[in-house]
Amino acid sequence: MSPPLLEVRGLTMSHGRRPLLDALDLQLKAAGCTLLTGENGAGKSTLLRILAGLEKPKAGAFRLRQGPWRSWRRARKGLLRQVMYLHQQPWMFDGSVAWNLKFAIADRPARQRNRLVEEALEWVEMRPFRDTPARTLSGGERQRIALARAWLAAPALMLLDEPTANLDQASRRRTLALLERLRDQGIGLMVASHDPHHFEGLADRHLRLVAGRLEPRGTPAAGGRILPIQRGRA
Amino acid sequence: MTDLAEATRHAFELLISGDADLWRIIAISFEVSGAAILIATPPAILTAFLLAYGRFPGRRLLISLFSTLLSVPAVVVGLTLYLLLSNAGPLGDWRLLFTQKAMILGQIVLAFPILVAMGHAALQSVDKRAWETARTLGASPARAFWTLLRESRFGLLAALLAAYGRIIAEVGASMMLGGNILGYTRNIPTAIALETSKGEFAQGIALGAILLLLAFTLNGLLHHVQGRGMARS
Repeated sequence: MSPPLLEVRGLTMSHGRRPLLDALDLQLKAAGCTLLTGENGAGKSTLLRILAGLEKPKAGAFRLRQGPWRSWRRARKGLLRQVMYLHQQPWMFDGSVAWNLKFAIADRPARQRNRLVEEALEWVEMRPFRDTPARTLSGGERQRIALARAWLAAPALMLLDEPTANLDQASRRRTLALLERLRDQGIGLMVASHDPHHFEGLADRHLRLVAGRLEPRGTPAAGGRILPIQRGRA
Repeated sequence: MTDLAEATRHAFELLISGDADLWRIIAISFEVSGAAILIATPPAILTAFLLAYGRFPGRRLLISLFSTLLSVPAVVVGLTLYLLLSNAGPLGDWRLLFTQKAMILGQIVLAFPILVAMGHAALQSVDKRAWETARTLGASPARAFWTLLRESRFGLLAALLAAYGRIIAEVGASMMLGGNILGYTRNIPTAIALETSKGEFAQGIALGAILLLLAFTLNGLLHHVQGRGMARS
């Protein structure tokens, strides 16, 4: 059993007067894939954004790699360094595909950057797109470049917000294959989705966000597969 | 009509012959306005960024204030600064009145709200995901800020051109704060006002032609920049 990468205790958040997360506890390992489901507006995206250090919660304690428990504010630097958030519709900076990829490895020497960009493009099978303006890419292509960019940044944990939403079948299949490879390379994944059946082969753990708390649905004991969602249940 | 034609012919002679006084006036205009823009831009863009992305009490009030300041006449800015910088004013000890520094100060005050208001609009038009993506990819706040400036560069450049266009053509503040001293604080707009009042139209027309050419160039650049920004969004 690998130790947890990120632990959260008593995470509380509301938008205005609407409570979203209610003293929620969570443990995430730097391996495997956790599927996060929940109703529209249940707070899935908010939870991911808080864990990635992008949104400040009302309360909660955070612990990275079994270090000391910290407030979000004090844990934020570590969260931003080790946890990455991918938007449902990934943002492409104004520039070429290569420029977007290089953004994630700006601290490396130029020659190394070029080599890594080539490797990343190879990885997502998009080598001919190297000099294409990133904003002219289709939704599926953007998703793959965003994954390549994330792969280059090499976080310990990747949080993906609806990564297959609005994608056609072929693009979805490619995205899922890339996620599988990320998982197999030892990057921990947490995927928020409305379509849990897309991730049945990928996720080894299923959590459902209900009334601000996480409920486990299915365990690795079930043959490594998550249990199907019982439709109609909150 | 003949007088106008004669004055125009004389104006172009002055320009082509490299009349020292005329070209000194033009140089002062560009020096003073260039310095004002250079000084005003960094704090104005930082202010625009704080207004676009910061959450603090009074933010909305400040946004309204800068929008209001856009329409303050240059002569009112000139008068206010004149009262502050005159010997009897609170800043009289600085001895800035009727110097280029006073003109620069006036033009900074005029350019600042334009840069802030247009810069704020440009930065706010960039999707929040740009900042978040930069941060989650490991960028420091400074690098993420720089990334945002890059993403909104066409809007920011438009702000810069608009502010420069306004201050290089303003007459009220420069006249009151610079005193229109030949070879020192006389710039294109104050020279036009003076020469016209004396009935010396040739120099006024020559300088007016330079301002028109500049306005045309700035507008052309502005359209080009805005067109590129639209094409990329």
